[in-house]
Amino acid sequence: MATAVENPAPFSGGMPVEIGKIERELKKLWEQSGGATTRASLINLAVYSEAAGSLAKNTELLSRLTESNACRAIVIRSEPDAKENRVEAWISAHCHVSKAGSKQICSEQLSFRIEGSSMALLTNVVFSHLDSDLPLYFWWQGEFHDPMDPQLFAWVDRLIYDSQSWNDFDAQMRRVEIAQEEAKQRVVLCDLNWTRIVHLRLALAQFFDCAEPEAQLSGITGVEVEYAPGFRSTAVLLLGWLAAQLKWQAAEPSRNELRFISGDQSVPALLNETDGQPISRFVLRRGATEFCVLHAPDADLLDVTVFEEGAPRMHQLMPAGENDPAVLLEEELTRGGPHRVYLRAINCVRSLL
Amino acid sequence: MNRLADQHLSNPLREGLATRAAPQPCTVVIFGATGDLTMRKLVPALYNITADGEMPPGVAVVGFARREKTDEQFRTEQEETTRKFSRQQVRDDVWKQFGNSLFYHQSEFHDPDGYKRLVDRLDKLDQERGTGGNRLFYLAVAPDQFEAILKNLKAVGLNKGKDGGWARVIVEKPFGTDLPSARELNRVVRTAFSEEQTYRIDHFLGKETAQNILVLRFANAIFEPLWNARYVDHVQITAAETLGVENRAGYYEGAGALRDMVQNHLLQLLCLVAMEPPTDLGADSVRDEKVKVVRSLRHFKESEVAEHVMRAQYSAGAINGKEVPAYRAEKNVNPESQTETYVALRMHVDNWRWAQVPFYVRVGKRLPKSGTEISVHFKKAPSVLFNKDTPVLDQNVLVIRIQPDEGISLRMQAKMPGTSFRIQPVKMDFHYGTSFGKASPEAYERLLLDAMSGDATLFARRDEVEEAWAFIDTIEHAWAAKKNAPPLLFYPAGSWGPEEADELLAGEGHAWRRL
Repeated sequence: MATAVENPAPFSGGMPVEIGKIERELKKLWEQSGGATTRASLINLAVYSEAAGSLAKNTELLSRLTESNACRAIVIRSEPDAKENRVEAWISAHCHVSKAGSKQICSEQLSFRIEGSSMALLTNVVFSHLDSDLPLYFWWQGEFHDPMDPQLFAWVDRLIYDSQSWNDFDAQMRRVEIAQEEAKQRVVLCDLNWTRIVHLRLALAQFFDCAEPEAQLSGITGVEVEYAPGFRSTAVLLLGWLAAQLKWQAAEPSRNELRFISGDQSVPALLNETDGQPISRFVLRRGATEFCVLHAPDADLLDVTVFEEGAPRMHQLMPAGENDPAVLLEEELTRGGPHRVYLRAINCVRSLL
Repeated sequence: MNRLADQHLSNPLREGLATRAAPQPCTVVIFGATGDLTMRKLVPALYNITADGEMPPGVAVVGFARREKTDEQFRTEQEETTRKFSRQQVRDDVWKQFGNSLFYHQSEFHDPDGYKRLVDRLDKLDQERGTGGNRLFYLAVAPDQFEAILKNLKAVGLNKGKDGGWARVIVEKPFGTDLPSARELNRVVRTAFSEEQTYRIDHFLGKETAQNILVLRFANAIFEPLWNARYVDHVQITAAETLGVENRAGYYEGAGALRDMVQNHLLQLLCLVAMEPPTDLGADSVRDEKVKVVRSLRHFKESEVAEHVMRAQYSAGAINGKEVPAYRAEKNVNPESQTETYVALRMHVDNWRWAQVPFYVRVGKRLPKSGTEISVHFKKAPSVLFNKDTPVLDQNVLVIRIQPDEGISLRMQAKMPGTSFRIQPVKMDFHYGTSFGKASPEAYERLLLDAMSGDATLFARRDEVEEAWAFIDTIEHAWAAKKNAPPLLFYPAGSWGPEEADELLAGEGHAWRRL
C-alpha cells in the first residue's frame, strides 16, 4: 500500500516546497521517518505531460509502479499556454512493504507544475533534481512538439512514449530523430505501443522454436489481425515486426488489407476492427495449418493454439499482459534492451502507421 | 552453446525477446510421484513455469509410483498441494490446462511390466500431445531405487529419445554417501544414460543469488583484481538454520551435516567463489573451472582432521524463546547418536590465486538465526596513517547473502562527524527485495526449465561429485576411526555452535562473522 507523506492542497499528492530547497526538504522527510524506512532508487524516471489532471493521475500510477521499480520520480505537468509564468513543486514518497516483509521501501517523487514561458526551464528542472549516477528514463506522454531541447535528450538514456495515441507517426518520429541527431546521443526509444504487443510476440515466436524455424516461417501464406478501435497502429506495428523479422517487403496497402512480398510470393494481411482487447486475434496461416493467438475480452491470458491437419491440436495459455500504462511501463522497465528489432519493425511499416 | 540454444537463436521471431533457450515439448516422468519433493517442489514448480508462459505446449507430466491411483485422483491431490506450496496463487483457468497435462502411472519400481506399459503410455502421449519422443525422467526417490529404475528404463529403450527426440535423467541428491557409493551410483546411471543425458540437481545452484556470484565477479571490473590471496585475508561460508532435524531423522542419522550440506551445497558455493573465469558460459566451461577448485582443495591426512574440522551435536536449549530438545531426544534419533548437526572446517584452495587463504565453512542446525551467506574478508589497511596508533580497524568485508533477504553488502571505514578523526565501519547494502520488487522464480523452476532445454550449467558433473566425495571421505574416515577419532562436541540449541569452532579461526586472528 502506498502512502503519501503529506497531503496539502492544491495538488494533494505531496508537500509543497520551494524549488531551491527541494533536496533539503527531502532530507528532512527522511529524517522524520526515524530510520523506519529505506529509500531506494534504481533509476531517475521523469514523467512529462501537458494533460489536465495528469499530476494526480501520474502520482497514482507511480504509487503502483514503485512497488516493484524503486526510482526517483520527477513528475511534470506543463501548461505552456498559461497566462502566468510560474513553477510550483511538491515532494512526496511512495512507501511499500518489501517482499521480505518487515521493511518499508520508499521511492521519492518530486512533482512540478510549470506554467507559461517557464516551460523553458524544463531541462533545468529535470537536471537539477536527478539522483546522480542513476540512468534517466524520460516518459513523454502525448505528442512531441517543436522545438525539442537537444540538451535534455543528450542526457536521456531511455525515451519512453506511446505511439498508439499519435496522429502522425512519421512526423513524430522525425522530431525524435532530429533531437537525437542534435543531441549526438543514441537514446534508446521505448514505445509502449511496442511493449503492448510483447506477449503476442512471445506467443507467436514460441510456435517456431523448432528444429528448422526458417523453413516453417518461409511458408506463411496469410495473416489475419483483429484490433480494437484506436489500436490500428498497434496491429500495424505487430505486422511490421513480423514482416521485418521475416524479411518481407510492404506493398501498397488498402484500408483493410496490407500486402507483403516474401520472395516471389504475396502474403496478404487482413485487418479487421472489432471491439475487445487492443489485439484480440492474430492468425498466421501456412497452407492448411493455422497458428492462432486469441485474447478474449477481460482475459489476462492468451489462448494459443496450432491447428494442423493430421496432428494433435496444440493448445496452451500464456500471459497476456495488460493494456494499462503502469503495467506497460513496468514491463518496459523489466525488459530493457536496445530495441533494434523495434526500429526495424517501424522502418518496415513507417508509412502505414 | 548447446544444440537447442542454437535452434532457439535461429528463430527470427525470438530476436530481442528472450535470452534463454526455449524448451521443446516433452514428457516429464517423475519417479516418486507421491513423495514430498514432488508435491512440495516439483509440481508447484511445473505449474509456475506454465503460469509464467514458459512451458512449451503439449508438455505432459507423468507421475510414477507404487500406490494405486487414477489420473483424476493424482490431479486432485496435486492441485491441493500446489495451492498450498506454489510461489504464486493458483489460478483456476491455468490449473485446468495444467491439471489436464498430469497423468499417473502405477507400478512398482522393479516391475518390468510397469515399464512396458509406460512405453505404451508415453508413445500415446507423444501422439496426442506432440511431445516428439522427448522424455525427461526425474528420480525423486531414494538412491537405493535408482538401479532398478534405470535398469528397467534401459531394458525398454526409454533411455533413448524416440523418433529423433531426446531422453534425459535428473538425479536428486544425495549422490552417494561416500566416494565408492558415488562412483557406484554414477556407474549405475551410466549403464543407462550418458553423462550428457544426466542432470545431477543441487537446488542451491538454482538460487538467484548463487548465480549472482558469477555476475558479481565477472560482470564488474572492480572486484576481480582484488579477488585473490594478495588482497583477500580469508573467506567464510555459513549455512545456519534454526530448525532441528524435524521429520528427516531417518535420513539425517545416516548422513549428518557434513554429507547433507557440505559435500554438495557448500562446496558448490565455495567453487563459485574460488573458480577462475570460464572461457564462456557453456555448461562444461563453467563446470571445468569448478572442478579445478575441488581438485585444488588441500586434502587432510586423517591425523590432521581434528585440527581442521570440528563436529558437534546440539543439546537441549532454546530457539526463539522456546525450549527445544537435544538432538538425541528427537523422534527417531538414536539416544546415543554420534551424528553431527554442526560442522566447521578450515580449508585451503591450493592454487596460485588462493595460496594460504583460509576458507572457513560452517553449517549447523538449531543455531540462533537462519541464513546462508558468503563473506569475503579483505586484508586490513597498512598500519600507517589512520591505522598507525589504533591498529584495530575492521577489515573490509563483502557479504553475499544467499538466503533469506538475498543481497550484497560491503563494509568499509568512514570518518565519524566531528573535529577529530574517529573512524567507524559503515555498510553499503544492496537487497534484492528492495531494488527489484519482482519475485525470483524458485530454484526448481529454473533447474527444470534448464533440464528441458538441455542446459546443464547449473547441474553437477560426475567428476565434481566424485572429487567432492574424495575430500569429504577423509574426514568421515577419521571420525569413524576406532582409535583417536576426533571427539563429537556438543552445543546448546540456540547458540552459535561449540567454542572449539571459534578456536579454529582464533589461531589465525580470525573470528566467525555474526549473522
